[in-house]
Amino acid sequence: MAKKLIEIKNIVKRFDNQVVLKGINLDINENEFVTLLGPSGCGKTTLLRIIAGFLEPDEGNVFLDGEDIATVPAYKRDVNTVFQHYALFPHLDVYDNIAFGLAIKKQPKDIIHQKVMRMISLVGLEGFEHRDINAMSGGQQQRVAIARALVNEPQVLLLDESLSALDKNLRKEMQLELKEIQREVGITFIFVTHDQEEALTMSDKIVIMRDGMIEQVGSPLEVYNTPVNEYCAKFIGDSNIIDGTMKKDRLVSFDDADYVCEDYGFAENEPVDIVIRPEDIDIVPRNRGLLNGEVKSVLFKGVHYEIVAETSSGTSKTVIMHVTGEHDVVNAEAHERMSATSFSMDVEDVKDITDAEIIARANAQAWNDDEEDVSIPNVNYDLKEDEGVYDCTFETAAGTKITIKINVVKPVSVEDAGNEESIQAFNFTKSVDEIKESVALDTDLIRWADAYAWSTEDNSQVEIWDVKYDFDDENITEGDYPITFSTQGRELKLETTDHHEVGERVGLEWNPEDIHVMRKMN
Amino acid sequence: MIIVPMLMIVLYAFTVQGNSVLTLTITFDNFARFFSDPIFPGVLWKSLKMALITTIICIAIGYPTAYIMARQKPKSQGLTVLLVTLPMWINMLVRTYAWKGILGRLGVPGEISVYVGMVYNFLPFMILQIYTALSKIDASLITAAHDLGADEKQTFLRVTLPLSLSGVVSGITLVFLPAVSSFFIPKLLGGGQYVLIGNLIEDYFVSTGDWNFGSAISLIMAVIILISMYITRKLDKDVKEK
Repeated sequence: MAKKLIEIKNIVKRFDNQVVLKGINLDINENEFVTLLGPSGCGKTTLLRIIAGFLEPDEGNVFLDGEDIATVPAYKRDVNTVFQHYALFPHLDVYDNIAFGLAIKKQPKDIIHQKVMRMISLVGLEGFEHRDINAMSGGQQQRVAIARALVNEPQVLLLDESLSALDKNLRKEMQLELKEIQREVGITFIFVTHDQEEALTMSDKIVIMRDGMIEQVGSPLEVYNTPVNEYCAKFIGDSNIIDGTMKKDRLVSFDDADYVCEDYGFAENEPVDIVIRPEDIDIVPRNRGLLNGEVKSVLFKGVHYEIVAETSSGTSKTVIMHVTGEHDVVNAEAHERMSATSFSMDVEDVKDITDAEIIARANAQAWNDDEEDVSIPNVNYDLKEDEGVYDCTFETAAGTKITIKINVVKPVSVEDAGNEESIQAFNFTKSVDEIKESVALDTDLIRWADAYAWSTEDNSQVEIWDVKYDFDDENITEGDYPITFSTQGRELKLETTDHHEVGERVGLEWNPEDIHVMRKMN
Repeated sequence: MIIVPMLMIVLYAFTVQGNSVLTLTITFDNFARFFSDPIFPGVLWKSLKMALITTIICIAIGYPTAYIMARQKPKSQGLTVLLVTLPMWINMLVRTYAWKGILGRLGVPGEISVYVGMVYNFLPFMILQIYTALSKIDASLITAAHDLGADEKQTFLRVTLPLSLSGVVSGITLVFLPAVSSFFIPKLLGGGQYVLIGNLIEDYFVSTGDWNFGSAISLIMAVIILISMYITRKLDKDVKEK
């Protein structure tokens, strides 16, 4: 049984009016590599500085070896820190930097020499003893900082984002080295980072923090395999997180299907978050797995492929696009020409419509042989506040006439209870030219149809993920065309070493123990 | 423009009075005269001593002041820097006359008055140099020193002080060198009793009209300044290398 070394009890810390730590309780054992993991601003560095003694907590206690050290100043604590930017003394060389702590304690010169040289060889800096600190590379400075702290033989070594200033390769190397050093000196390391990979590689215990609170404490394997909630699951590793319902013990349901799992202890029909790690999903022939899907994208990642498969489609709505041509009317006697386009309008707009607005919407124009504009004084129509197609005639004073169709439409919407989404769109009318001139047709179609999707749960907007149509916009002719707007369906990310084609229809499968069910976060 | 007046001084220093372009007599007499008469080296020594003491007083007052300034909140730091530099906005001569009035009325003896005037004039330079060096020290170094077991005093002696020495050295350059050759502060506040090398040079140029001897003294001064600059440079380098 590991011996408890540090006991953190109900630590609260406020800066101005902001509560940075909201009652932290944590036990750290002897000879343990503990990582405080969380995004910036979660309070992890504040907690570290409280342990180091640079900050005093507003409430709570820190016990080191059973002794309350909350009010012991930093320089009297048996704890040393490796700072984020190392904070090496620029006026001292490598040797004197490392010897600093021992010289402060007035240890005999020969003992200092012995200890410093041992540290220098531990961190692999032999031959650099009298090098100027500023002439050292980032990795070397890092080693000096570690040696400078460790030479004091503290009970605990604190490391504040100590690897973040190094480049990627060096960081990986230092991760291994740090773990090696920790094993060799056999003391407790408390490491602060926002890098989940660092945490997984080095730690014996990972502490996931959020907003001044601890979300989960566990071994790397525990936090990876059994995250307590969506936050922890997202923070550690790549995962599919799915809204679902716990039907009963060991049976969870999502997207209208039930799946066997190994989790229990939830209320009946409790809404839950489900995690399935990408590497736990296997591709099998269609209809042989737990569910079917279609390969949406394939990314080659070196050893494996990262595949996204859609297992259920989103909510969709099909509308009709009326495509009209634009016809000039020529009145040779009056030397006038006229043009106008049919258009669609919302039923609700009918009662407030004016002649000017109809002219504008129809883009009605009249001009004479000299290319001068001619006014259109007569607009004749008979619109009803009901869906339908109505004629509308524009006429100039000289009697030039053109008739178009006004398509009065209602928004059509579809509600999908399963996806808890609604989608709405209008039928609409566009001219051939407008379609040909569009540079981003999908976006324009969404705008023209006024397509909008929202969540029935909280009314928040849902992105229109896909616009499907079956025409060639370069060579479109007059006529009616269906257009389908849909939201994103269920997409599962998975990793496999086999190659699959985009569009391939596959079956997906996993083992019951690969589903992990979590309580919803509040 | 820079070289010509200097060449003239060198020329004057190595010639005797009454030279014309035709009869140019090169001589070391002017220098011999300076060192043979015990009065002149005595004045030189007095000048150096006064400059040295002024510098030491400036460090003694300036360092703690700068240290306190650097530890203030950033907001009030700007104000104190302003306060320190404020006297520099007023003409040096006017400031010195003001001191003459105050000290004369209080009956302060001439030598002390000279020191008061000197320190008052040169202190801001010392403070600003040290303050700049102190405020450049990364706060995390102080934290690191505490972390490694150093209390306030040890942290100051082993981290803060060594890292601020470069400021002290440049402060010395800015105080000592002008102090050696300053003439009107001693003249004004010393009440004519206090003759320094700067006064001497002024005398020979302005009153006696012996430009040759005046130039020789200036050259000797220049050499001394060069030597002291060399020493401070070396000091500065040593500090930085350490």
